[in-house]
This record gives sequence, C-alpha cells and structure tokens, in this order.
Amino acid sequence: MAGVLDLLVIGAGLTGLFAAYTAARAGLRVRVVARGAGSTHWHAGTIDLLGYLPNGQDAVANWAQALPELPPAHPYRLLGVDAIAQALDQFQRLVAAAGLPYVRAGGGMAFTASSPPEDRNLQENDPAEQFDDPRLGQNGALISPVGAARPVYLAPAAQQAGNLEDDRPLLIAGLDGMPDFYPALIAENLQRQGRLARSASLPLDQLTERRDRSPLHLARLLDRPAAQALLTEMVVNAAAPGERVGLPAVLGLNDHARLLEKIDRALAARDPDTAQTPDRRGACAAVFEIPTLPPSLPGLRLDTALRARLDRLGVRVEIGMEVCGFHATGRRIHWIETETGSRPLRHTARNYLLATGGILGGGIHGDRCGHVKETVFDLPLTAPQTRAQWLRPLFLDKRGHPVFRAGVSVDHRFLPLDRSGAPVYDNLWAAGAVLAHTDPIRERSREGIAISTGCAAANAVVRGQQL
Amino acid sequence: MPATSLNAVGLSLNDCIKCNICTSYCPVSQVTDSFPGPKYAAPQSERFRDFGHPFYADDAGPISRTLAAGRMPDASVDFCSGCRVCNEVCPTGVRIAEINARARARIAAARGLSLRNRLLGRNELLARVGSIAPGLANFLLHNPLSRRLADALFGVAEKAPLPRWHNETLNRWLSRTRAQRLRSQQKVVYFHGCATQYYEPFVGIAAILVLEHLGYEVIVPPQNCCGLPMLSNGEFSAAEGYHRRNVARLIEFVNAGYPIIGTSTSCTLTLKEEAPELLDLENDADVRALKLATWDIFEWLRDRLDQGRLPSDLRPLHQSDRPFILPYHAPCQLRAHRIGKPALDLLARIPGLDLRESHARCCGIAGTYGYKTEKYQIAMDVGAELFDYVAAQSAASDREAAGSLSFTACDSETCRWQLEHGTGIPSRHPIELLAAACGLYDLQARRPADAN
Amino acid sequence: MKRMQTEILVIGGGATGTGVAWDAALRGFRTVLVEKRDLTHGTTGRYHGLLHSGARYVLKDAASAVECISENRILRRTHTHCIEDTSGFFVVAPEDEDDYPDRFAAACRRLDVPCTEIPPGAALRREPLLNPRISRVFELPDAAADSFLATHATAQGARQAGATLLPYHELTRLHLSGGDGNRAVSAATVLDTVSGRELRIDADLVINAAGAWSGWVAALAGVEVKMILGKGVMLATNARLTNTVINRCKMPGDGDILVPIHTVSVIGTTDVQVADPENLSIEQWEVDLMLTEGDKLVPGLSRSRILRAWAGVRPLYQETQPAGEPAPAAGDPRSNGLPAQDSPQYSRDATRALALLNHRQRDGLRGLITITGGKWTTFRLMAESAVDAACGQLGVSRPCRTAHTPVPGVEQGHYWLGHRLNEVEEENLQSELICECELVTRSMLEGAAQRNPTVTLDDLRRDVRLGMGPCQGGFCTYRAVGILHSLRAGKALPAAAEWNVAHMQSPAHHHRDDTGPAPADDSRRRSAAVDPRASVSQPNLLLRDFLQERWKGVAPILWGQQLRQERLDELIYLSILNADHLPVDDEESPLSSFFRSDSSPSTSNL
Repeated sequence: MAGVLDLLVIGAGLTGLFAAYTAARAGLRVRVVARGAGSTHWHAGTIDLLGYLPNGQDAVANWAQALPELPPAHPYRLLGVDAIAQALDQFQRLVAAAGLPYVRAGGGMAFTASSPPEDRNLQENDPAEQFDDPRLGQNGALISPVGAARPVYLAPAAQQAGNLEDDRPLLIAGLDGMPDFYPALIAENLQRQGRLARSASLPLDQLTERRDRSPLHLARLLDRPAAQALLTEMVVNAAAPGERVGLPAVLGLNDHARLLEKIDRALAARDPDTAQTPDRRGACAAVFEIPTLPPSLPGLRLDTALRARLDRLGVRVEIGMEVCGFHATGRRIHWIETETGSRPLRHTARNYLLATGGILGGGIHGDRCGHVKETVFDLPLTAPQTRAQWLRPLFLDKRGHPVFRAGVSVDHRFLPLDRSGAPVYDNLWAAGAVLAHTDPIRERSREGIAISTGCAAANAVVRGQQL
Repeated sequence: MPATSLNAVGLSLNDCIKCNICTSYCPVSQVTDSFPGPKYAAPQSERFRDFGHPFYADDAGPISRTLAAGRMPDASVDFCSGCRVCNEVCPTGVRIAEINARARARIAAARGLSLRNRLLGRNELLARVGSIAPGLANFLLHNPLSRRLADALFGVAEKAPLPRWHNETLNRWLSRTRAQRLRSQQKVVYFHGCATQYYEPFVGIAAILVLEHLGYEVIVPPQNCCGLPMLSNGEFSAAEGYHRRNVARLIEFVNAGYPIIGTSTSCTLTLKEEAPELLDLENDADVRALKLATWDIFEWLRDRLDQGRLPSDLRPLHQSDRPFILPYHAPCQLRAHRIGKPALDLLARIPGLDLRESHARCCGIAGTYGYKTEKYQIAMDVGAELFDYVAAQSAASDREAAGSLSFTACDSETCRWQLEHGTGIPSRHPIELLAAACGLYDLQARRPADAN
Repeated sequence: MKRMQTEILVIGGGATGTGVAWDAALRGFRTVLVEKRDLTHGTTGRYHGLLHSGARYVLKDAASAVECISENRILRRTHTHCIEDTSGFFVVAPEDEDDYPDRFAAACRRLDVPCTEIPPGAALRREPLLNPRISRVFELPDAAADSFLATHATAQGARQAGATLLPYHELTRLHLSGGDGNRAVSAATVLDTVSGRELRIDADLVINAAGAWSGWVAALAGVEVKMILGKGVMLATNARLTNTVINRCKMPGDGDILVPIHTVSVIGTTDVQVADPENLSIEQWEVDLMLTEGDKLVPGLSRSRILRAWAGVRPLYQETQPAGEPAPAAGDPRSNGLPAQDSPQYSRDATRALALLNHRQRDGLRGLITITGGKWTTFRLMAESAVDAACGQLGVSRPCRTAHTPVPGVEQGHYWLGHRLNEVEEENLQSELICECELVTRSMLEGAAQRNPTVTLDDLRRDVRLGMGPCQGGFCTYRAVGILHSLRAGKALPAAAEWNVAHMQSPAHHHRDDTGPAPADDSRRRSAAVDPRASVSQPNLLLRDFLQERWKGVAPILWGQQLRQERLDELIYLSILNADHLPVDDEESPLSSFFRSDSSPSTSNL
C-alpha cells in the first residue's frame, strides 16, 4: 500500500468505525478493512449502555451506578465511568456534526442540529465537558416493535418522543402490508403496561405503485417530498389531539428528519392548544420512530453518518476484504493479508485493531467439536471448553448462553492477553464484541461496549504512537 | 460433466444468515420490482432449485430433464445484473452473484437462449466482423433506423451506449509500430480484451506506453474473448471453450513467470476467478496457474510502487493553476477483485489532481445488462446515483471556480460508456490519465503524445 | 359435562388415527377422532419423510416389505400431491458387506419389489454429491412424502365423509361397562386442553391408534399392550444434497437413509429404546453418529450446515419381548446415553409389520381395538385392518374404500421441489413473504390459521412449514405473531374464499381465491379455528413458545453458521424486541411446558 498506515482497523461495525474515527481525529493515518458491511445494519440504532445485569431480571435504571455490580473483568470495569462518558460525549459530537444528533433517551432534542455545518465541526472539536450531570448514566425506556420497553441510554432524535417516561397517550400507526410492523400488537402490549395506546394502519397504495414493502424501499420512497406530504396528511388525519404518534422506522434514508419535522409541525398547527412548547424539542415532539427487524434504517443512517465523517478525514473503508493470513515475528505483527480473486493482498501498518465482533460479527467461530476460535489471529480465548457447556435449555434464559460470552481477554490498554496474562503482540489491540467477559446482546450493552472500548483502544494506539 | 463438489459456489448458500444487508445495498432491486433482491434470488431461491446438480442440459437426470422441459422454477433471477455489490457487503461470504449466474445458466439450459443473448454473449465475433470495415459498421449499427429496428426485433435498447469501432485495431497498431516497441529482459504479458482490441485501442496503447516507460517489454500474444459475456448470459459450455483456449495460449507465458496484465477489469476478473469458479475448473492446474498470474494493471503498478519501483516524474494533467477535478468511479468489476482501489493510490501522486472518489454502488450497465431493451431503464435508474454524484461535482466546479472538470475516470469500458451516456462528460481509463501524467499520452485526442 | 355419541371413536391424530377416521367415515360409520395436541404432533410429524419401496426390509422383515411396496403403489394414487416422486438409490459403500447386494436383489425379485441395477457412473451423474467410491447402485421406487400435508389431506377426506376431528382433546378416561366375561369399553372422557372443559363421548367402539402412546391408552381400559419405543434421531441439512432418496445397501442400521424432503435433506436415524415417548433427549453422540454415517453417503455432509435435529419414536409392537432383559424403566440410564448397538433392547430387530390387537379375542374386552406397529408408508393398510376388525366386532360387513378414493388435492399431481418458488414467481408474491426461507406468504398463513385449528405457531409450522428454514423462526416468529394477533382482532380477514387443506402449501392458490367447494363440516371448524381462549389471545406466550420450540431443535446442532444464525435471532428477540421482558398474564400457556420438556439440549450440567 502507498505510504505506511499508523493503524489498520479490521472490522467495519460501530466498534471499528468509531475507533478509526478516534484515531484519525488524533492525526493518525488509518484504514479500515472488513469482510462485509458492518453489523450496525442489524441494530435498532440506539446506543444501549447496560440494560440488564448479567444475571438480572430488572432493567438497569442507571448504568453508571450499576458498573460495580459487573464482574471485575468486564470491559466496562476496565474503563470506568469517566472513560465511558468521555467516549459517549465524543460520539455525540460526531453524530451531531454529521447531522444525526443523539441524546440521552428522554433528554429532549430537535430532529436535526439547527446550526450550520461549519459550527458543527467546531463543536465536534470542543474540549470535553465535565461530567457532573446528575442524570449521567440514567437509562430511558423506548418502545420495542412488539411493545416492550427497551432500556436505552442514547437515542437518535427521531426515537426520542417514544420515551415511556412521558405519559402522553400513544397512537401506534403502521403501514399497510408492511411485514415487519404490527401496530395493534404494540398498542395492546403498551396497554398491558398501563399506557394509553391505540393503533392505526395507514394505506400505502397512494404512496407507491411498487409491490416492495421492505423497510429500505419505503424509506427511499419517503425521502421524496410528494410522499412526505401524503404521509404527513395521513398521520394528521389519524391522530387525535394530544396523541403522540409512533411510526415504523422507515421514514427516510437520507431525509427522515425533515419528514418528522413536517409531521410534527402539521400536528402542532392542527392542535395549537396541546402543542407543548414553541420550539417543540424532540422529547415533547408528537411523532417518533420505532425500530424494527433488520435491515435497520436507524442503523443504516448511523453507518452512513460515520462513513461520511471518515471520508472527510481521509480514512478509506474497504469492504469485501476477508483476512486470510498474517505475518508476525516475536510480539510484532508485520502485515496481514486479505483474500482476493487471485493472490492474497498484503496490508502493512504500524498497529492493528481487531474489531471483528463476536460470534455474530464473525470474529469468533465455534465448531462442531466444541472449539471456539478467534478467526483472524487465533488469539487465546476465554470460552467454555465443551459444547455441552455452551447453551442453556431455555432460549430466553435471562442469564444468557455461556458460549456467547466467549472472547478475547485484554489488559487496560486493550492489548489481547495470552494465558499467562502478557500481551500476545505489542501492536495488536482488540475492542468491541470480540472481547470476553461480556454478552453485549443479553446485557443490552452492545453499542456502549463498541463505542467505549473502540475509543479506548484507539486512544491507546494514539498514546503509543506519541511515545 | 463438471465435478460438483461440496466446496463449490452453491454450498456458500449455507453461509447466509438471512440478515438482509445484501438486499439493503442491491442497486437493482432498489429501482425495480422485477428483481426481488439478492437474498431472495440466491441463497433463498437456490434451496428450491435442484441444488447440487449439474447445470448443463445434456447431463440430464430426472430433475435436469424436468428443467429441460421448462420447469426451472424461477425467472426473476434474470434481472440480477451481476454487479456483485451483494458479494461485497455480505458479512458472511455468500457468493451471491455466482449463485445467480449459475441459476441463469440453468434457466438458459432449461428454456433455451434468446438470439439476442446469444449475440450479446458473442460480442467478440460481432466486433471482429465490424472491424473489417469500421466506418460501414458504425454506420450500420449507429444510425437511428437500425437502432430502432434492433430494439424492436432483437431487444437491444435503442438508446443504450453501444461502442463505436475504431479505425485501427490494437493489433494493427502493434504491427505498424513494431519497430518502436521496447525490447527488454523484463517482460510482461498484456491481456487487452475485446473492447480494447476493436473499440478502444488507445487504452491498450496507453497501457503499453506506461509499461514500456517503466522498462518492461510488453508481449501481446494471440487471445480471444475471456468468455464473461457468455457467463453472464448463461452460456456456460461456450464460455468454457473460450476460457480453455485462452489458458492454452497464455500458459507458456505463465509458466515462464511473466505476469498477465489487463486493463479491462471484467476480463481480468474472469481469468482470475469467474471462469474457474463458475465452471468448476479450479482443480485444473493450468487454469489455476493463470488465475494466480493475472493482475489488474493498477494492482500490478501498486505492487511495483510498494516495492519502490515506480518513477516519480509525474506532471500535472493541464497547464492551468486550477486543480484538475477528476470524479473517479471504482467499477463493480474492479471491486469484485477485492484488491481495494489501486488506481486511487497511483493517481493520487499526480500533482494538481483533485481526485474525488464516488461511493456510488454501480453505474447500472453491468456488462451487457443495460443493452437489453427490458433492462435499459433499470440500468439508467441504477446509474442515477453515480450520474448525480458527477453532476454535483461538475456543478460545484462551475460555481466555485475551484477547478475544472473535463473528464471522469473509471477502469471498466462498458461503465465508461454508460458514464458518458448518463453524464455527457467524457470518461477515461485511469491508465490514460497516468500515461498523460507521464507525458506519453494526449488525454483529449486519446493517442500517443508524440503522434501527429 | 358435554356429551357426544358416535359409532367409532378414534384415539390419536397421527397418520394411522386419521387414516382410521377416513376409512371408517368412508364406510359410513359415524366417527369422532380425538388427538391430545395438533394432528401429526407425534411420530407422524417427526419422521424422515420416506415413502418406502419396501426394499429396506426385503431381507430382514419380508412381511413389512410386502406391505410397503403394495401401499407405496396405492398412496401414489390416493395421496399424489403429498408425494414427490424422487426415486431411490440403494448404494453399496466401501464399508458394506460383499454378499448383501446380491441377496438383496434376489429378495427384491422374490417379493416383487421393482429393482434395477444401474452403473455407478450413471448414478453419480444424477447425484454428483454422492460418494464416488460406491461400487454398486440399485434404483427402487422410494419417494419422499410430506406427512404433515398427507395427514391433513386424509383428515379433510375424513371430514368430507362426515367424520368429526377434535385436535387438542386429550383422552383422560375410558369407561368400562359390563361384568366379568362381558366387559366392554363404552365411552371416553376427553379434556379440551385449550378451554380446560371435559367432554364425554359415548362410542360403540374405540380404536386405539395412539402410536407410541398406545400402551398408555390400553392401560386406561385395563389391558396391557407392551410397546417397544425406538427413538430415532434425524438431522436436516440447510439445502438438499441429493434429489433422490439414498439408502445404504446393507442390513438396516443407523444413519443409512438420506431423504430429500422439500428444501432439505434428512439424514436418519438412530435407534435407542426409550421408556417415555414425551421425553426425548438428543445426545451429542447421536448427532455425531448421523454425521459420520452421512459422510459415507455424501462426503462432506458433516461439514455442511445442519439446521435442526429432532427425534421421533417408532411405536413397535411384539407380542413377546425379544430375547434379553425386560425393557428398561423410565430413568434407566440405558434408555439414553448408550450407543444403540450396545443396548440390549435394540428395537431395530423388532418387526415393522403392523399389529392389530383385537382385545375381544386377546383380552376378553369388547369395544376396543388397538392398531399399532407398522410404518408411515403402511398407515392406510393399518387403518383398513383396524376398521375391518371393527366391522367384525360391530357385526356389519362394509368393504374398505380407501385404496380407490383419492383424498382432496390429488389433481395437483406430485409435488416438486420448485413448486412454491414457481408459484411465488408466477403470481409475483415476493413482497407477501412472511417466512422467507420456506416461501410462506401472508395469505397462506392466514388461510391456515383461519381454516385449521390453530393454538400455537407450531401448528402453523406443521401446516405451511413456517420457520423450518435456515433462520429457524428468526424473522417469521415476530411476523406470524403479529398476523395472528391482527386476525384475532378481526381486521385483516381476507374475503371468505373457501379454504381447502388440500392446497394448504400452495402460495398461488391462496392468492387466486379459486378454491373448490367447501368441506362438509368446515363451518363448524371455522368458528372454532381461532379460539379466543387459546394462547393466540396471549401473543406474547405464542411468541415465547415458538422461540423455545425452535430452540429445542437447534440446540443439539448449534455450531458454525447455525450458531451465528441463532445469535442474530437473539439480537432480534432480545436487543430489538426485548421479548424476554414482555408483559405476560401467565408465565405459561397450556402448552408451554411441552416445548420445554421435549428434547431439551444436553445441558444438564448447567
């Protein structure tokens, strides 16, 4: 490759992209390679920090206060509250600068940052704030596509008004024929939890002549002004005064904020008495999105925002490249190789960051004989030893399945460790779901782990470069 | 009969976890209901086809006989353009586009192949016939009446960006300039492909000039069509014949240790991967040797660069102080090589060049796909993302007076034709830009710099 | 307590019981069938789908072989659309003994089982994934059968002939009348498991067709029927490996059958004697054995993606126990955990021929007939024998008509692998797909839910193959719950096109609304179809139960790509839906427990 990279990130999920961003902002030359598009596409697009403790039943009200209850080797325990909060702060600045603001669930927010892009860049580079916010760590509760309460820390502005701490009545409105959203089911489950909720179904045939009812198709359709006007009219007709309206998260790929604002303003114009404040900040807005099955529009928007920022920083993200080998001597990795249509392609960098994910991302593989392997460097893993120990008899067992806690053990710098507790390599870092001692899906900590460990590992690389 | 093994393309359907990322990125299903998307067409539908069975009609078992009687269950896979964006984004490595290509071959075997698809698959034959009298051929093919007739009778879209014959083939230029060609101990083999031979010999000339500039003797052995048009139209047995002939002609050079370098990203991809994999030839030693010896020209140049073996005497592409804005589109066929974007690494070294990388997924043309009447509009709709990107760069350059935009760049010929068709802006192969930056080539006139 | 009166009461809604109801109703008997869960819930719904040519048994069980080939010919006429005409190969692998093939071919000739030897090269051209080291190949008229569809079609035939079928009605008591020497079964009490209400059914005759549960039913009448319960474990691959049924040409053993059924290949089976048909664990050695043996048929099968494992119980009967020790009691370690070959009670040696127990002659008890043993292939013959015996007891003479009466739907012809995809394409139903893996459309699902008793999503799975593909319910569980919930809310009901189980699996049929005449008693069924007391009214339980039902089948084979798939399913149901923190009125539905106790993964140490 032309020029020597300071950091090669393997994996293009939230962990890899945010780590690349952190390192590139610190001035490092960074590139990302990944086998496929990142797992951001599967998630709800919210930033879940810690929804449930590893063996807990009840939702964690405040993750910052719950950290001491995590096992000592948990990645959050390696970081501490301040490091996590700083990483989240940087994340919020990044997405705000990219025009996709995130705030604490229930915190209140306009659908888009109102300041011009130049100012947003300045905000992105402001020094970090002090974290003396009394509500730091406080989870909110957003509505799931089956009507359960999702414990969420940060959410995109588009999802804010669905916060269940708010007691305004709810209208859950679906789109006819969409296979991934069932408003009546959501409303009924909300009622079971004591909410005032009802459902409606909006016709789609006026919006499109296509048969396609996939989330992506609907979202691209709703990027068009004519479709936005039609949907706005339908929502206003369906909603009763004082109701907030939950819609499936398909309200646009590139322009969802405009549609949400349109609907919100139209509702406010119709019911001036019930409109809460003149500027109708997000939490008080009367319309919100509910995420649904993959592919996730909120996730895609987040991926797009991150990739756009990386593009500005000159970070190339190469997708479709699977690592097939590497060369190391002693404790130093010299290059990695990716598979091509012909000979392997060599990538050389001073440092490497493993952000390939867990079993779902493909960073960890479990075979029929019960061997659990890290797929790129064959790093030592902390994992159950036999297949009989992998799973529990009940799928929804709240303790989770042990095999999904398998991962790489790291030190406080996020260097993977061998069995003796020493770093395996001096220039290989690991972050995200490939780490051991956490089950991010069971804990509802996936995005929190991704952002905080990705940021911490990248910062460790930066510090190493400065020495 | 091809030896179908459990490690073949078909088995990669087992890697699908149904996550829908491919469908999210598919540029074709985005614009039309005719193609229900890669997940549906490949790993999903494949389970309802006769998985594991040979795809040649003449090897009929009872199921293949059913196919031959026209009972191939689906047809919408024909609307897959084969752009391979799905392969690129798939997180689990399903060979989606290849599964679709095989399904098309089975449809062709079961239902027969249209004359149009047979002709499009044999572009080399057409090109060779036309090159006997290029002027006449251009007139016959490109006058409005024959275009309308071709649309109505054969289903070749009236407006599709068909190429024009050049008045001199690459081979004729080579024999005309034989005396000026460099002789050297360092040798490379150039695989030009049909388009360079008959329509765009100047791309081959630019490549030869750059390679010679670096001190390499360029061998251009006899060669035929790589077979990709036949592979994408489902004519596998014919494609196999073409590929085997190329292997026979090139293997002595491969065995001598010379790299096989191409400027057509689709031809090199076919030599490297498509033909061996789709035709189940990966266990053939010669096929494999050619696969491992084949390079895209920028992939090879980047490899020289990494070894510090490229001269750094590149000069600006024009005299003005304003930056030379160049929107670059890495074509799907190049991305399918999985070698990154090597042209970017080299072009970035040209002084005064404001290189702008398009992140558009596909230009839409996908080889012969956009030439077909029923697919022309789909191809244009797919390409809109790229055309809009170029238009935005162009508009910005006019407005801000920040630079001048006279060309776009793209490594694949059919994509360049589609880009020109969709944007009205001339498009160049990156090797033409590099040749120009070396002072060897006239970018505007598309001929060697010293030619009059 | 509600009461009903009938001439013949059939216990058991598997292939045999449904066949008995069909046969009896066709002969003009008033007939009621009770099944404690859904039709085909037992062994019928858990077998590999092989329509035997009989060749498998020509050397060790000639009686069974003769029954099989005769019934094979009949079912191709009466249940055409439930059968894929795959043909079958018996292949000689390098490991197989030398003289078996010749003795096999001779026995086939002797028993009139059509058998043609074909060159291995020709066989390999037809089935390229087959082991290239096979030395000989015989082709026989084996085929693949959809036992869910076949049983539903038989059930519809029975209903059209006037029978009443009551799924989710569990037998709790058999009433005996008369004193010594004149004892008779005269009535039964059944429990509606959904509503919890009891029903008394007075019957002239009870036919026990409860399969693996036959011994338990007989015990309610005070007679002993000792069943040999042979558990067989099967695995399904992600996609078909062959399009022909493949058998090893050797004495029947473990893992020597590979059946292409719909989109998958099924490798089976093991054979381990068990005491309790309800409690079937799948052991790791059984999975490993199937993969090792499968590799001998299709090299690389063990590296292919496995979707699911399940176990069925062969209800085998022998009047005297085979030599050796008595059957192990429940909880005996020998009943699971030991390789079959080492088990002293090796049920593979028991006959597969049907067993008709006329308890009047056998035990001096009138009013009860037990029909058991046999195989799916011979279910019609079993029904015929049972109803013949019933005629005898009831003192009437009515000839059997089933061999010449096609069930509704045969006009569709044999099914073929591509039929769903073909219909989805022809009717452009891609955007209607709910279960994308198995191409189940919204209208198929709604049709099945409205016209067939639906208490759990598992019932819909048996009806239309919901959730049986690679993602194992990952995407469609949520969608199906949403659709059932809307149906109950009375919203999305389609126009009242008469639905017909014969076309249950046809996407185009539901789309086109061009159905035939209504089944005779369809109005009654429809009103009961979506019972508001069923767990349908608790969508959250419906969801949890189906997730657990799918889990119990994937847990034994969870590695590689299927493990990754399951992690994606976790992401959907935990991260996105938060399905483990849903508000529920009850922790359990009336059926939740079933999905837990049955075939739980080998995780006893957790």
